Amino acid sequence: MAHPRFRLSRRAALAALAAAPLARAFGQDGAFHPRILLTGKRAPDPARATGATGWSWELIRRTSAPARLTVSRIAADSSELLEEPFSVWFGADAVEPLSEPEVRGLRLYLSLGGVLFVDDSNPGLGAFGRSVRRELSRVLPESPVVRLPPQHVLYKSYYLLDGPVGRVEGPPYLETIQSGKIACVILSSHDLLGALAQERGGGWTFPIESGAQDQRELAIRLAINLAMYVLCLDYKDDQVHAEELMRRRGRQRQ
Amino acid sequence: MTKSWAITEDVSRWVVILAATLLAAAILLLVHELRSRRQRSWAIFATGLLAALCVSLAAVRPVWVQARGNLVGPRVVVLVDQSRRMRLSDAGTTRLQKATDALGSISRHFQNARLSAVGFSEGTLESISLERQPLEITARGARSDLSQALRELSATPGERPRAVIVVSDGRLSRPLADLDDARLREAVGLLGVPVHSVAVTDTAPSDASIRSIRAAGVAVAHQPLAVTVEVGCDGTLPCGRIPVRIRELRDGVAAAELANGVAEMQDGVGTVELEITLDQAGGRVLEVSIDAPPGDLVPENDTRYLTFVVARDRIRLLHLAGRPTYDVRALRRWLESDESVDVVAFFILRDSEGDEPGASSLELALIHFPVDELFNEHLRSFDAIILQDIDAVKYRLSRYLARLAGYVELGGGLIMVGGPSSFAGGSYAGTPLDSILPVEQPRHDKPSDSKSFVPRYTEAGLSAAVTRPIRDLLGVALPEMAGANFLGQARPGSIVLWEHPDLSVAGQSMPVLALGEAGDGRTIALGVDSTHRLAFSPMAANVAGRAYGALWDGLLGWLMRDPRYEAARVEVVGECLEGEPETLLRVTRLPGMQGQLSLSLTQLTPEPHPEPIVRQLPASAPEPAEIAIPGLKAGGYTARVRIGEAPPSRHDFACERGGVAFADSRPDRARLEAVSRATGGMAVDLANIERLPLPAATQVSAERKVAPVAPPWVWTLASAVLLGVHWITRRNGGLP
Repeated sequence: MAHPRFRLSRRAALAALAAAPLARAFGQDGAFHPRILLTGKRAPDPARATGATGWSWELIRRTSAPARLTVSRIAADSSELLEEPFSVWFGADAVEPLSEPEVRGLRLYLSLGGVLFVDDSNPGLGAFGRSVRRELSRVLPESPVVRLPPQHVLYKSYYLLDGPVGRVEGPPYLETIQSGKIACVILSSHDLLGALAQERGGGWTFPIESGAQDQRELAIRLAINLAMYVLCLDYKDDQVHAEELMRRRGRQRQ
Repeated sequence: MTKSWAITEDVSRWVVILAATLLAAAILLLVHELRSRRQRSWAIFATGLLAALCVSLAAVRPVWVQARGNLVGPRVVVLVDQSRRMRLSDAGTTRLQKATDALGSISRHFQNARLSAVGFSEGTLESISLERQPLEITARGARSDLSQALRELSATPGERPRAVIVVSDGRLSRPLADLDDARLREAVGLLGVPVHSVAVTDTAPSDASIRSIRAAGVAVAHQPLAVTVEVGCDGTLPCGRIPVRIRELRDGVAAAELANGVAEMQDGVGTVELEITLDQAGGRVLEVSIDAPPGDLVPENDTRYLTFVVARDRIRLLHLAGRPTYDVRALRRWLESDESVDVVAFFILRDSEGDEPGASSLELALIHFPVDELFNEHLRSFDAIILQDIDAVKYRLSRYLARLAGYVELGGGLIMVGGPSSFAGGSYAGTPLDSILPVEQPRHDKPSDSKSFVPRYTEAGLSAAVTRPIRDLLGVALPEMAGANFLGQARPGSIVLWEHPDLSVAGQSMPVLALGEAGDGRTIALGVDSTHRLAFSPMAANVAGRAYGALWDGLLGWLMRDPRYEAARVEVVGECLEGEPETLLRVTRLPGMQGQLSLSLTQLTPEPHPEPIVRQLPASAPEPAEIAIPGLKAGGYTARVRIGEAPPSRHDFACERGGVAFADSRPDRARLEAVSRATGGMAVDLANIERLPLPAATQVSAERKVAPVAPPWVWTLASAVLLGVHWITRRNGGLP
């Protein structure tokens, strides 16, 4: 077994390899930035990690929100986790049990108001999802994982969506761990990063499971909504939006 | 000289009672004994009676008392009404002058009495010298509180007066007008002596006046408040319909008319209920006025100036953000967490010129930014506006900036939060909004600096209450900021709390966080977009993210004039009245506020920069500081107090012309008659002062001699002899 200090420095070194430059232009400090969460020894799938860049790119292209295109990898036990309030934890295989510093780091991150998006790249296997749920029960033992109701603001934070889809169609719901009014952990079994990942040449890295390109567009819209939820929280639940959004929902379903 | 006897001189009362009881018991026993034995011996009864009486006298030892005494004039107190209402004109003179003349007449009529005079109004009694000629009485106070005056007189140690004479016009604030005789006696009969009264006038002037102003409950910002105005009209005036108007006096802009109506007069009285809505919390100065009919002789009571303390139920904020960022997220999260804040937010999520959502509007959850509706219809309903990184031109705010500046000058709050599209970067430089911000905005090509830095507290920042919450958590440490908007010099009167450690303007460090006042409102300029690091960062984690809330609690609290974030508390001591020699302002420093005290007083006028009255006190001045301001005219005033380098605290107050004292100019002779009747006194007018009865003279003892009726041995011997005679008589009569 490796020495904990060695493991920490190795992850830190991995993270540093892809980290964005620290000096940012004025106005970029609060930009949306999906950072890849690192836990244990296993490095994340680099092909899917490019989905973070695709995510930022789509956000910049489609909305007024600023975003950073660089891919950052952040160790769960690093103080850098506390630099920004959004991170993505994805994978296909079961994760190793979190070390105590990782549990503490994630607990502090979530208690400060950070949002963690958990994306199962292989929901058919389900090993990643199950192991992450197991570890999250250690991080937030009092907070159960529950289904995100279909009326949740996440489905109307930018696009009006009927449900979640990614590269994989997956279940018709997302799951969440709530902290007060905020969904601090959002769990997806849809391989959302897989749908966003692009090759250097510009093509999509992974095909949509069903083969329908509409599904990729819906996956991108879900990613945009997730980003808007992170940036604006429940803004679209405000009374000033309610009547108009309800009307549009009604017309959509006609 | 008088001579009398007393049952005893040196024996306590209970011994006398005991002796009397035993004497009575002995007599009853004797009678019972004679009756039960069917004997009618008067000798036995007489000797027994004498023996028992003699034994009792031996116990108490009666004395002769010789006293020499003098008769002196009775003590009489004259209570003269000193309220300012007595200044009202009456038949070529004033009521006060008539009261002075009445006091002279009373002095002559009661020349054999020991006469003293005191003035009453509100507060303590004021002695009036009867030695000084001519007599001089000054008016003071708004009310004529006779009940309090009599209570104070009864509590005064020394000889009680034998009579009290009240000189007034009868318009007493207490006792109340509608008391029955029993309650009136309770209110004015504390001394147990007759209260005579002299009515100085019986004639009501030709006067239309605002008699009273009543609000139905507490004034709450943005909520309608019913104000009932009672108008009186007397004398020879043509009283039919009298217009009533309520205006709010404001700083630097014209007064705003809040409501108007007409009082329909019936039997000289009319009321009108007006609904007003005050949008700004804190002390607001209202002017209530009537259009008096021609011939009104008392113009002082046609206009009242009142300070309404407006409470705030919830703070209603408009939060406008030009794009969603983590900084916007942090602010929204904090605003949402505060139950006392009601937020209306509009974030620009899509730039219609550049962004490509790839969906029809039906598939989007976006609504149009209702800029016209917000600024045309709803602006005044907000307590404060937050502009966060929103471009004025691109999002059509430019056309409303003058209106927004006016909103602030009328008492609204404004915070501009930094970002690439804030300040000069958002095309605000040179606009009407520019002039009300606490800092200038240099117009050059590069509106912001991208170099990271850690802001530095200024001297003012270190002493300001507004930054105390965050300093309590982090000390002087602040997180690193990713660049800043280029801001210019602080405007005169503005306070810089944070400054840039490297950048400077006009030889001084560039402001980063500054506070300022514009008209009735307050503004804050925050030239960075990284304060979210106070909520979420390794530094924030050390204090559980509370530093962000601490900063914004202070900023919003100061903007909303929360007393916790002020440097000092200001209050008017007593009343502020036009024509009074001076008005006293009491300034109390709040805890932790040190340094020189500087007070600046300006009148609430439409003129943008009225000449202020300035007073300065050293840091060592005693607490609380009392500052006298001479010669204030009627109207509204703003007192700004600065302690050391801390941001100024503001207190608005009203200065009246006639005030409560002049509200009802009618004399009320019937009230004086009721008071006299309830206490057994006599009510007269000025012409009949000589009819007032002189109380009986008071006897004062000068010498007193006490001598025993007989020496103690005589009483003892007599008791023994009489007991022996009685015993012999009993034996002879066959009694044991």
